[in-house]
Amino acid sequence: MNQFVFKSTVKTFLISFMVLGLLCMGITWFSDDELHTRFWTNLLHNSVFFTGISLMATFFIAVCITAYAGWHVQFKRVWEAFGSFIYLGIGLMVFIALATYFDLNHLYHWAGDIEGDKVLEGKSGFLNKNWYLFGTIIIGGTWIFFYNRLRALSLEEDRDGAGVNFAKHRRMRWYAGFFLPIVGFTSAAMIWQWIMSLDAHWYSTMFAWYSAASWFVAMIALTILILLYLKANGYYDNVTQEHIHDIGKFLFAFSIFWTYLWFSQYMLIWYANVGEETIYFKERMDNYPVLFFGNLVVNFVLPFFILLRNDTKRKFGSVGFVAGLVVLGHWWDYFLMVKPGALHTAHEVAAHHDHSHGAGDHGAEAAHGAMEAAGHGAEHASHFVSGFTLPGLLELGTFFGFFALFLFVAFTSLSKASLVPENDPYLGESLHHHV
Amino acid sequence: MAQKNIDVVYGLYDDEVIMMEAVKKANSDHLEIMDVYSPFPVHGLDPLLGLEESRLHIAGFIFGALGTLTAFLGMTWIFTKDWPIIFGGKPYWSVPAFIPITFELTVLFASIGMVVTFYTICGLGPGVTNPYLDDRITDDKFCIAFNKSEVESSAAESFFSATGASEVNHKTI
Repeated sequence: MNQFVFKSTVKTFLISFMVLGLLCMGITWFSDDELHTRFWTNLLHNSVFFTGISLMATFFIAVCITAYAGWHVQFKRVWEAFGSFIYLGIGLMVFIALATYFDLNHLYHWAGDIEGDKVLEGKSGFLNKNWYLFGTIIIGGTWIFFYNRLRALSLEEDRDGAGVNFAKHRRMRWYAGFFLPIVGFTSAAMIWQWIMSLDAHWYSTMFAWYSAASWFVAMIALTILILLYLKANGYYDNVTQEHIHDIGKFLFAFSIFWTYLWFSQYMLIWYANVGEETIYFKERMDNYPVLFFGNLVVNFVLPFFILLRNDTKRKFGSVGFVAGLVVLGHWWDYFLMVKPGALHTAHEVAAHHDHSHGAGDHGAEAAHGAMEAAGHGAEHASHFVSGFTLPGLLELGTFFGFFALFLFVAFTSLSKASLVPENDPYLGESLHHHV
Repeated sequence: MAQKNIDVVYGLYDDEVIMMEAVKKANSDHLEIMDVYSPFPVHGLDPLLGLEESRLHIAGFIFGALGTLTAFLGMTWIFTKDWPIIFGGKPYWSVPAFIPITFELTVLFASIGMVVTFYTICGLGPGVTNPYLDDRITDDKFCIAFNKSEVESSAAESFFSATGASEVNHKTI
């Protein structure tokens, strides 16, 4: 079977999960505080996570083309399918950017009143609403353009053949080559804007790599899950243990790579012991200890020890189990990147409101009160805050909703073209792949 | 190589595909292959020869774990008992600072341990001369060798001519 059929039962299944997700987001919105922080952080968290996965899929296609790789060619349509989420993903990000632009959310501290805040004033050349909105549009648009070109050429190759001297493939190589440095720099810029600036005073030079690695591992794990699903439904008979073994190696290797970046970031900050840097980890270790250390267990210890052996990477059961774990694990990782900073901002905004209330009567005392309120906010976080300290059921529901949406988009894209790109020059290599 | 003076009859093949077919034929003819030599690893050859997966990586894991323990326990002992020094106000037992060295020693022990294990098992090492059948099996020829005590010379020769070996030789190693 070379044509994926998006069955209506699967559609119904996915749509029901999307409805669940919408329902959860609705409940979050109405049960939320006045700033709707929980709703906005959930939206941001899932949008960024799945947009990143689709970006990484396109990135990996470009990497494989540039590296003259052939092993993946049989199932590269799966990555193209993941990549097709980029339209919707960037759409969601633009929505969030517009909401930030028009002050409809309070996700970002820098988007509020930063007068007198030396650090944020210094950063305001980059961290401002214009940059956020137009960066999202321009950079997101660039990603869409490259995805669109790579996908269109791949489909053309299917339809018209590889062309004289593999002209279509050479054209793809050209786009892939340009895309790589662009995605390298722009993904970092967007991660700074979208995620790192949630902790607006804080910065880390490792952060962009670290979150991009998180996206990448999640993408690889999701690829394994989807391939196993497709194989179980009778597609991709020629995608064998050998291919799964290689993707399993990527999962193993990049889980370690992610840990390497995680640890490098942690150790440098721990070693330098500069208060404005350590605050990021202090916040998470004090108030989110289960998530913080569990993150390492799920994303490093388990994949490392389970996939260490040769045969666990080849057996569909074990590699599928780890892949499922790791997808959830990196969603969890993003949870940790998003929530504490946003919660802190929400508290500051709330404290600021108090401050402006009392300012008319007794200035100094009110300022003192605001500081106390801010301190109280930080203290407050050390108690259990549902949806922040741990992902609640609403967060999980939202995640499943987004997951279903992502799969819906991916399966729709998958059903629009043959599963195996028949005219790809490297197809033979992929069919005979053996490790 | 513990054994000495083995009488060997071997055939050289020009192509690994022909050689693989020959190995399959030898299996179906129940000819006991002593060994197969090739200039590069040939995919799919191991299962045909009935070779099990190498257990070298188990040795690698054990050496690696040994390295982890050596580094971690070593540093723990040095920095808490033997010669405690305060670095930058950190506690004596500063686990994050130990991680890079623990990692390095894990890799070092695993790699050196595996090389030594591999050399020992294969009887390789400086000053050791191992017998070999033909220079060209390190270059462009694929060789199937039979031990004459297991396979009749005449049977081997007819096998080689039937499977398209470009050359058949006898040698005692």
